[in-house]
Amino acid sequence: MAECDALLAEYKRRDFLRVLGSGALLSLPVRGAERPVRVRAGEAGIYEAFTGKIEMGQGARTLLTQAVAEELGVGVERVRLIMADTDIVPDDGGTWASLTTPETVPAVRKETAAFAGHAITDPARWKVLGTSVAPLHGPEAVTGALQYCSDVRVEGMLHGRMVRPDAYRARLESVDDAAARALPGVQVVREGDLLGVVARDPQTAARAAGLVRAQWREEALPAADSLVERLRAGAVAPVEVKETRYPPLIRGGDVEAGLASAQRRLSASYWAPPIGHVPLEPRAAVAEWKDGALTVYCGKSAPFLVRVELARSLGIPESKVRVRIAMPGGAFGGKQRSECELEAAILARTAQAPVRLAWTREEEFWVAYARPAGVVDIESGADSAGRLVAWRFRNYNSGAPGLRPPYDFPHMSNEFWRSEAPYRQGSYRALAATLNNFARESHMDEWAHALRQDPVEFRLAHTGDARLKEAIERAAGRFGWGKRKPGRGVGYGMACTIEKGARLALFVETEGTGAQLKLRRMVAAGDFGAALNPDNLRNQMQGAMIQGIGGALWEQLRFDGRSQLTHRLSQYRVPRFGDVPEISVELIDRREVPAAGAGESPITLPAPAIANALFSATGERKRSLPLAV
Amino acid sequence: MAIELNINGRNRRLEIDPAATLLEALRDGAGLTGTKYGCGEGQCGACTVLVDGRAVKSCLVSAGSAAGKKIVTIEGLASRQGLHPVQQAFLDHAAFQCGFCTPGMILGTVALLGQDPNPSAARIREALQGHLCRCGAYPRIVDAVRAAAKTRESRRG
Repeated sequence: MAECDALLAEYKRRDFLRVLGSGALLSLPVRGAERPVRVRAGEAGIYEAFTGKIEMGQGARTLLTQAVAEELGVGVERVRLIMADTDIVPDDGGTWASLTTPETVPAVRKETAAFAGHAITDPARWKVLGTSVAPLHGPEAVTGALQYCSDVRVEGMLHGRMVRPDAYRARLESVDDAAARALPGVQVVREGDLLGVVARDPQTAARAAGLVRAQWREEALPAADSLVERLRAGAVAPVEVKETRYPPLIRGGDVEAGLASAQRRLSASYWAPPIGHVPLEPRAAVAEWKDGALTVYCGKSAPFLVRVELARSLGIPESKVRVRIAMPGGAFGGKQRSECELEAAILARTAQAPVRLAWTREEEFWVAYARPAGVVDIESGADSAGRLVAWRFRNYNSGAPGLRPPYDFPHMSNEFWRSEAPYRQGSYRALAATLNNFARESHMDEWAHALRQDPVEFRLAHTGDARLKEAIERAAGRFGWGKRKPGRGVGYGMACTIEKGARLALFVETEGTGAQLKLRRMVAAGDFGAALNPDNLRNQMQGAMIQGIGGALWEQLRFDGRSQLTHRLSQYRVPRFGDVPEISVELIDRREVPAAGAGESPITLPAPAIANALFSATGERKRSLPLAV
Repeated sequence: MAIELNINGRNRRLEIDPAATLLEALRDGAGLTGTKYGCGEGQCGACTVLVDGRAVKSCLVSAGSAAGKKIVTIEGLASRQGLHPVQQAFLDHAAFQCGFCTPGMILGTVALLGQDPNPSAARIREALQGHLCRCGAYPRIVDAVRAAAKTRESRRG
């Protein structure tokens, strides 16, 4: 994994530099000499447009089609968007970090306008952008015709199944595969620690996998209750890095001097456990070799990264790998790397036939990577006027996104300390911004109560951002903040953030505590600049907040000293119909402001808002997620 | 081994072990991939189909148990007149994001409206509690189900 992570870092660095305008391409065009086309006139009055971004339910297909249609001066029905086939589309970077809206849309508009021979259209004159075009994949979604990655079938395809150890980490020592090979058409594939079977149908593959007897040498995991201390102990202090999307160190003033001179100080630690993405569709891939070249169909959100990883792992040039994306049934940051794809490719190479490998829910739970666990330690100080003047914020292990506070602290140091985690960890919708906002917004609430100030007024007094203020005030007004007193088990709380360019505020009403905790109401406001597709923005914002309820209240992956213990949906609670409160979302549309993406930032709101509501009801401060245990 | 099943109004002979799940028979035997695998233990509802009009989680029952019964999958719901009112309502409300839960959700709704033509929001949430939408489109789905109920009522006249 270490080499792969170096690759990821390099890919992301190139991605960032490209956006800075350094001119470096993400990857060189590898097949054929021509630069990938962005848009061209097709047949029958249809235009064809090309993008490396993928659709995963967040609305990229619709939005990018709107962008192309806008600049061509046609309706969306005259644009056919070809997405994420590494042989024919430009590398637009991974579909991650809410970048499609702020980066790909402007790039596509510019290139399409150039193709059409005019300057990009002024937002005031938009006819297609800024309107609620319905999701273009809708008609196929409601009829079952939409092909997801687990639905891909190719001619002559066989079915794979992996044989895995029970332990989280183990090396393969020996295999007895006689019983499995006795089944008709079954091949057993062993390469290093990889062990799998290939059969003519999935049922036979599953049976054969169950018949393989393997000896594994297990590697112990650290005790789960030692994780917090391990993350702190193994951490490395950050240094200032300017050219990066997520700076690991953001400073202002002199935090040590600020803390020393503060009238009053607070310190607290906050915790988030590893959690799973739990996309409704587990990973699946089909790998097909022809003349030493590999084509992989899969549902990953970073097709060009998957291509690099596959080429390196298989020892073939990138020009011999083609990655074609079929829509994933949910990804949430969990489907960026090439695990399932590599396994399918190795099975197919040995079997000398195309192989489909679809992970089970159990594999999706424990073989896939998790959202990193993290600890945040905050040291802060206020002056005699009740203003926060010093803020030292340390995130261990979970990441740098969302480190920058939306508040004006004269002395601050916001730090991401990289650490060694014993579990497979990786990206997740909004990544560390959720823990960082949980810690920051909980801590702000602690201060407001300590200083006997209203939490809303306290925040407004500490931010100079007029758009954030408006979002807070609008949501507060609709919620009726301050009109009713918490108590008798009912709590009111709020949280806000500036994340990935968006200004957001959420107010919640809770009832009960512990396992009986219930959400009654969520009232939110979101300012994403120009609302490119208002209805989709509302859908994204509402959906992300609902998903965030799970991480706030119940979700955590469990481990012992040997294995991950969470393997099934029945062991892992995620939000269902009955968990969703009355919910209201208001969009603040600013046509003159460049648009921000909405896929991630709203998920950072529920955890702190709910924790703050719980405090108002009970006087007990919960600093560890999940809250309803 | 083979089994004969009545799927979407047609009798079909499928090359699959009758002990396989109905989900496997539909996806791998009949090639009807609109029915989805999500968990294999009846927790997510993505594999929901209609068997004699009732919502059944096809990952929990054997293909053999559905023999002689009328199976309806998402592919069999629309008619020559167009989309089923529940499909149309989901489309009109954009009651999905990734759409992976949508086939099961729609069939669960069709079964619900068969029993209770005019369910309250609370009844809808209760009836669909076994269906997961990881994208969190739940409020839109409730709105879509209520709209579909209204359409059906007005058509009945």
